[in-house]
Amino acid sequence: MTQRRFIDVHILQTVPPANMNRDDQGNPKEAVFGGVRRSRVSSQAWKRATRLAFVDHGMDKQDLGTRTKRIASKLTALLVDRTPLEEEQAARLAGALLDVLEISAGKKAGDTAYLLFYGNRQLEQVADLVMERAEELAALGDKELAAAVKDLPVKETLGTGHPVDVALFGRMVADIPTLKVDAATQVAHAISTHATELEFDYYTAVDDELEEEETGAGMIGTIGFNSATLYRFATINMRQLQENLGDDAETALKAVELFVSSFTRSMPKGYSNAFAHRTLPHLVAVVVRDDQPVNLVSAFERPVSTGNGARAHDGIAAASARRLAREHTTAVTTWGDTPAFTGLCCTLNTEDESTGSALTEAFGQPRSFPALLADLRAHLAEGSH
Amino acid sequence: MASSEEAVLLLRLAGPIQSWGDRSSFNRRDTRPEPTKSGVIGLLAAASGRAREDSITDLAELRLGIRVDQPGTLLRDYHTASDYRGRPLPQAGVSKKGVQKPTSPPKDTYVTTRFYLQDAVFLAGVAGPRPLLETLDHAVRHPSFPLALGRRSCVPTQPISRGLRDGSLGDVLAAEPWLASEHARAVHEREHRTTLGSWISLSATLEDPEHGDDILNDVPRSFDPHHRAFASRRIRHTWLKVPTGLADAGNAADTTADAGHDPFALLGW
Repeated sequence: MTQRRFIDVHILQTVPPANMNRDDQGNPKEAVFGGVRRSRVSSQAWKRATRLAFVDHGMDKQDLGTRTKRIASKLTALLVDRTPLEEEQAARLAGALLDVLEISAGKKAGDTAYLLFYGNRQLEQVADLVMERAEELAALGDKELAAAVKDLPVKETLGTGHPVDVALFGRMVADIPTLKVDAATQVAHAISTHATELEFDYYTAVDDELEEEETGAGMIGTIGFNSATLYRFATINMRQLQENLGDDAETALKAVELFVSSFTRSMPKGYSNAFAHRTLPHLVAVVVRDDQPVNLVSAFERPVSTGNGARAHDGIAAASARRLAREHTTAVTTWGDTPAFTGLCCTLNTEDESTGSALTEAFGQPRSFPALLADLRAHLAEGSH
Repeated sequence: MASSEEAVLLLRLAGPIQSWGDRSSFNRRDTRPEPTKSGVIGLLAAASGRAREDSITDLAELRLGIRVDQPGTLLRDYHTASDYRGRPLPQAGVSKKGVQKPTSPPKDTYVTTRFYLQDAVFLAGVAGPRPLLETLDHAVRHPSFPLALGRRSCVPTQPISRGLRDGSLGDVLAAEPWLASEHARAVHEREHRTTLGSWISLSATLEDPEHGDDILNDVPRSFDPHHRAFASRRIRHTWLKVPTGLADAGNAADTTADAGHDPFALLGW
């Protein structure tokens, strides 16, 4: 697929008092936007939470990456498993194969000098390169062996068909540029749709074994926190993702599903025992575009407030959803670039007519999250042929 | 080059955060107060789908002008990283075998400080041959890679391209209406109630190989990670008189003169 295609994910999520991503003062991160202070969660924090959630969302560990120095012993084990070679011969063959990479060796035999982040399947493919000729190769002398494997595409095998997590988030290998992978996702810092103030929870801890004549607290302290309705945005560059995954369309679809569900359902865990802030989004809108990714954060440059009017009762989340929907509709009508696909999952009460109609006009009828993922997949699968 | 073939491509660079580093490395990632040439060229190269190793000579030859529509403020971001297996971090020194040694005493958390500009809006003018700028204009509207304002996590808001204009870099940047946010306009209106007018003076930095009196070292020669190099360019700082899009001076001054005390003005709201 050489066509340009971006999958934008827009999320509105309300978080109760929490401090999930803190600065060096221990307070929640903030940023000024539209002239007022906002709560902020860095992109790095949410990317880590997303990555850690991959295993929970049905990803076969075999399809993910491993970060290890012990690539040589892993490869040796694979060769012993699959060929008639003894361990010693297999280790020698594995060593010769990895010499092609020109990675400096580590202290212990079979170790590389640094951690290599590679896919489990990629290593199996390296083993496949010599499967048929394993015995013949093992019988060669050192020089002949080196010459025989010199032209095998070891670097190319490790440089293509990356595991899903490497394909999504990228990899940097300073001394072997061919192993470098450009990330297929872009994640923005999450910011609140409204002004927030930093608040402090002053707490005291009471000593359970306090003598009767003693008074006072065992310790006192403060924790900074705020609560916010966050706007979160991420986009997947489908073309880059396919390229990173060796043009395997099926794996790319799986990776999209994995990223969208993990990004949506995960949450940074900072102070989670103190605040139990775990929530799910009010609104997830997925938009597939063939022109460019469109971040809708401008909708909140003027901070959302509940005001005193008739709408005061329905809160910041509903007002934020209406703003987001309007921003999307305005962007589409102004620039005349109709998205290829829109899908909405929403827990807000859309019986309120203006919210409901604004959302439906912008993103279509709301559906369940699994239905949204299935429809997205069906749309992408259709387009990739 | 004949001036008839020259044009200026206008880009609006805005988003909650931006970061335009020019000399940062390692743990402290600074930002300049204005977009750098390497940052803007990086954005254009990403839009047109160039790989890091591809030539950017044609882009580096474009002349850049930056108009500060809303300067924003500095945001300091504290960022930590650690080894997920709980091992101490490696130090800079290496053993005889070239292997990085662990820190001693062991250090587990790596701290980096990243600086961003928050709540800023810039208008960038890129001057050069019209045919090249036409392809870049299309590329920015249909980018190959997602675009960013200096760092990948600094996602821009749309629209970025405002299209092509004829004229000199300075004139084109001065003719474009002020792009500040609703909030910045309101602040300006309150602070300048007596002098409120249809014009505002905005600071700008124009690339000027002949009359430039300051030098910036931010012209990329290549984005190839193995051949990173920068050249310098001459620039000129100036002020541009720009239309505000606000009400006309005469009437507006009359109506606001009697507005009386505004308690919120003191709070900067």
